[in-house]
Parts: sequence; C-alpha cells; structure tokens
Amino acid sequence: MSSASNTLISVLYHCPCNGATQSPGGLDTGVRVNSEGEEAVVPNASSNSELEAQLKLPLQPNSELLVLRASAIENLYYCDDCSELRCSRCVIEEPAGYHCPNCLFDVPTASVRSEKNCCARNCFQCPVCTHMLSVVETDTETRPFSFACSVCYWDSREIGWEFEKATGISPQIEAIKASDQQAKEYTSLLEYWRTVYRISATSAPTSTLGGHSVGGALKSRFGLSSGLAGNSASTAVIPPYQAAGYMDTDHTRVSQRMNIENVDTVPPLSADLTSIEPQRIRLHMKLARRCRSCHHILIKPESKAQATRFKIQLMAANFLPTITLPNRLSPKTPVLLPEMPLRVGKTVPLVLRFANPLYSEMRVTVAACAPEQDSHVEVVAQQFVLAPFTELWEYDEDEDEDSDGSSSGERSAGRQRGIVDRQGNRVAIQLNLTPKAVIDNLTVPLFVTCTHQDDMDMDTDAPASAPAGGDSSRRTVTNKFWVYISLGPTVQ
Amino acid sequence: MGRLQIAPQALVCKNTIIEGDVQIGNGTVVHVGASILAKNGPIIIGSNNIISERATIINNHAHPLTIGDDNLIETDSRVEGRGMGHRNTVGARGIIAGTSTLGNNCVVGAACTTDLAENVPDNTVLFGCPQARRVRADGNSDHLFMHKKHLEYIHEMLPRYNHIIEAE
Repeated sequence: MSSASNTLISVLYHCPCNGATQSPGGLDTGVRVNSEGEEAVVPNASSNSELEAQLKLPLQPNSELLVLRASAIENLYYCDDCSELRCSRCVIEEPAGYHCPNCLFDVPTASVRSEKNCCARNCFQCPVCTHMLSVVETDTETRPFSFACSVCYWDSREIGWEFEKATGISPQIEAIKASDQQAKEYTSLLEYWRTVYRISATSAPTSTLGGHSVGGALKSRFGLSSGLAGNSASTAVIPPYQAAGYMDTDHTRVSQRMNIENVDTVPPLSADLTSIEPQRIRLHMKLARRCRSCHHILIKPESKAQATRFKIQLMAANFLPTITLPNRLSPKTPVLLPEMPLRVGKTVPLVLRFANPLYSEMRVTVAACAPEQDSHVEVVAQQFVLAPFTELWEYDEDEDEDSDGSSSGERSAGRQRGIVDRQGNRVAIQLNLTPKAVIDNLTVPLFVTCTHQDDMDMDTDAPASAPAGGDSSRRTVTNKFWVYISLGPTVQ
Repeated sequence: MGRLQIAPQALVCKNTIIEGDVQIGNGTVVHVGASILAKNGPIIIGSNNIISERATIINNHAHPLTIGDDNLIETDSRVEGRGMGHRNTVGARGIIAGTSTLGNNCVVGAACTTDLAENVPDNTVLFGCPQARRVRADGNSDHLFMHKKHLEYIHEMLPRYNHIIEAE
C-alpha cells in the first residue's frame, strides 16, 4: 500500500449553497448540477426510512464541480444561528485589520488609503528577489547606511541610495530623488501647466473653452500649427515656460514624439533589474467571515498583527461529527484500510469513524444512495448514538484500550450490528463496499443526519419565565449533509 | 589507506566521519556530525574554515578537492566537485554538485544547488527558486570580520562541550 494512494483518500463535506449570488438553499431543493445535464434522482432502495425517499444526490460523484462544492471539514464553517454548514463560497469576507508583514505594525484604516496600501515606514522590497530589505551599516564615513537584501545580497548602493541615518529613511529617499535632474524638470513642468490650467479655467469659466485655450497655448508655444485662434487674453497673461535645468535640444525627435499617431511596437523589457528602485512593501489584511444569510460573525481574528488567535471561531469541526477513514482503531488492533487499489466486484469492508465534538449526545443516521453506477454500498449500522465529548476521555484512553481486548468479546453480543468500535465520543462503523466499474477515483456519497439537543439557554428566553410551548430552553438541532468519500482508483 | 593531517590550531570534533586522505588547515573547525569523505582522491581544506554539523564534503574523483580559506559551510550541505576558493558561504542544505567549483567570495543560498558541471565565477550569489544567479558587489569587510568573531567564539566554546581529536 503506497502512500501515494493514501493521498487520494479523503472525506469531503458538501455544502449545498448556491455560491456567491444567492442565500443558501435547503437540502431538499439541492442544486442538481450534473455534467451530463441529467437529474440524479435516486429511487427507494430500502424500506427503512422516509429519509431515503428524499435523497437526491446534489452532485454526481465524478462531477468536476465537486472540487468547488465539497471540501474537507477543516475548511468549513458553521453558523450556529442558522444551524447550517457554511463553506468558503457562502461566507462574506471583510477586512479585520491591516498590517505590514515586515514590521508588523497595525495600520489604521484611514492611513491605508492614503499610503496606497503600502507600509509608510522603512519597509522596502528588494527589486531583484522581492525579499524584505534591511538597513545595514558599513564602515564608510559619509552616509554609512544602506539597504541590503539577505537573500540575493543586493545592496542599495548599486543604485546610489545611501543614507546618513538609519531611521526616517523616507525623507532621505525623497531628498535623493529630488536631486535628480529629470525629476526636477518634471516637477517644475507640472507646476507650470497647473498654473496655466488654473488661469485659463478662471478666465474662461465654461469648461470647453478652458480646454481649448490650453491647447492653444501649447500649439502657439511650439509653433506647430496656428489653426485655432486661441483665447488671446489668456495666452498673453501666462509667460512662456523656462526650463529649470534640463532641456532636450533635439527638436526633431521631440516633434516626432509629440505627433505620434499609432504605436506599432513596444520596446522589450530590459533585463537589468538592479536599476529598478525598491518598492514599498504591500500591507496584508486579516479577514473576518460572516454568514451570508444572517450576518452572524463566524470567524473574527484578533486585530493585533502578531496575534494568531481568533476571538470568534465557529468551525464546522466543532459542531458536526468528524468523519475519517482510520488506519487503526488503536495501536494494538490491525490495520483497517482495505487493500488498494480496490478491485471491481470484490466486496471490502470500509470502516468509517465518527467523532462527536459536542458536549451533548448526538444521534447519527447514515444512508447510502443506491443503486449507484460505480459502486454499491451497504450501510450495516444505519443509526447510532455518539456519546458526548468530555475532556476526561483524553486521559481515559489508556484504560479503554486495556479493557477493550477483554471486554470486546463480552460486549459484542450487546453491540449494535455494524459498529466495529466505540471509544469515548467516537464510533467506528462498517460499510460493505463493492466497486462496480473501473474508474480513476471512486467516490462514495453518503447522506449523514445528526441530531442533538442543544441545551444552552437562548438569549431571549429567561429560564425563570414559563416558556410558551414546551421546552424552549432546549431545542433539537438537526444537521443533514452529504459526504463524498474518495477512495482512489479501482482496477479490474 | 588514507591519513588524516590536522594542523595544530584546527579543531576537529571526535564525532565526525573522516575517511581517506584529508588535510585540515590551521584554525579550521569541523563540527560534530560532519563527514569528510575522501573516497578516491584527497581532500585538502585550508585554514580558518567553519564546517558545520551534518555537512558532507565528499570526493569521488581522483583529483583532489581543495577548499580554500575563510569559508563557511553551513549545516546539512554537500560539497562535491573540485572544491572552492576563499571566503565563500555555502548555505544550509546547499549543494555543490557534480564537478562544479566555486570561486572566491561566492554565496550559495539555503537549499540552492549548482548545476552539475558549473564553475561558478567569483562574487556570485546563488539564490531563489527557480535558481537565479547574480553578481554581488565587493565589500566584504563586514562578512570577514563576523567570520573571525565566529571562529574565535567557536574556538573558545567548542572544546568545553565536545571531544576534540588531538592533533599530532
């Protein structure tokens, strides 16, 4: 049995939501999406319960959509207000805080927008390898500090960034950039045209004239065309532009550039990465998740950047039974997994283990849908009870194992048929599986219903006041969901 | 049958695996768990190197494998080929594979490998996944200074906690 086949074995829980657009529907109106476009309605196979009459497989086991709609229980949430399973597609995500991954500084939401989602402090990315830069000190007398990357050993001296102080790098960078000739020219040009626009806008209040007069000023300055008789009053007021230090004297090239009509080719990206300046590090978000229908918060992380805990954490594994395919029931019992790959026509016992996470008893019903094209599953134990979870069980496990061997013989008569093992809050049941066809990934769908009494007092009902109908401080919660168990390939 | 020649100031721990014809220069430290295997040709290690735990220096060829001075070979790395020059750093789990060599002042990043027959020129940094190479500026004075400090510290502390092979 290779470990490669074990990676295909998984138990996936199906969320019956309709995804992003609609509120989650109930299971009876399950979306019947099928790659062949056929409805997958399952006829009554046994006379057992009316549950089976309602069984409509929401997704064919070999459907490609299974990847989207079903996931492992670790990735699922549970809304305890709606008492329903929620998946990542039917929760609303919203930011619960922004922080810089380098300095772990919590950025207030107002600053996020003004700093364009980047860290405003000394956090920069290496232009070569995008790792975080750190400030290092060397022995040179003037400007001893610079940025260095510890992964690719890039140093900011290669682009001329050297600093006098280790803190307050941002203004020092501004100073370096401002001393660049072309940058100076650009800023003075920008100022000039801003004043032109302002003056022409105030002199000609209607916006169209304002636009035209700018064009007129531009064209009259360069003498390219005197077609439009601009607003002579505005052009007379504005003095022509004086270059601040950088002048491109190649007039033909300038006029060519200004008259570009089409751009047919784009010059290739230069491979010289060391001349690119370091970018600021982007901020990371912490996300909170809400139920789409009732807006109850399901996941709320702590807002401090360093804290990895959650204030509210409603996970499916804390409310629904965890279904696994155990390797062994205990260190002493033999290995349970059937021989892989599974053979067509050969009936193997498949052991599933259910673990109850709640502090109250849970009644579970398992139903297979039959007949299936790919396999036939017989569920021997269709209904069973899971004991509640107590932390004490963790310490009692050794005792259970010692007594299991001796008492299993005695208790087997009183045990329910089909239950292989019962330990604490976990029950292992046996299914008899017969593959019927050779396929790449045999997936067995099972319909699980679990019911428990939720004996937490509801907020609105005070225990002292007489409840209107029966026992409103205890309510019966029922969860029904489909589980898809993948078992790897089958062979002839 | 090989012989092990350890210079007087070298510090070689007893729990190392050294086979074959190996020369270790002055000041070099060989940590616990390192392997220096001169299976075929000899291995000549210069002075003031630091060979960390679980590093493997192996010579399967007939020609000698020469390691210069002031190198740092970090944990779980592997050096084959013809060796290296001076002042290099082979990062943790870095591999110098096949018949490759390193020049001087190079850095092989953590978990990075050379190609099978690559003579890495001086001042090169191997980093990243997928592999990238770039040349780094000189300006190594800090690195050498730290290396010296590291060596001094090891020379002081290592004999207190490990058994050392006595040099003849």
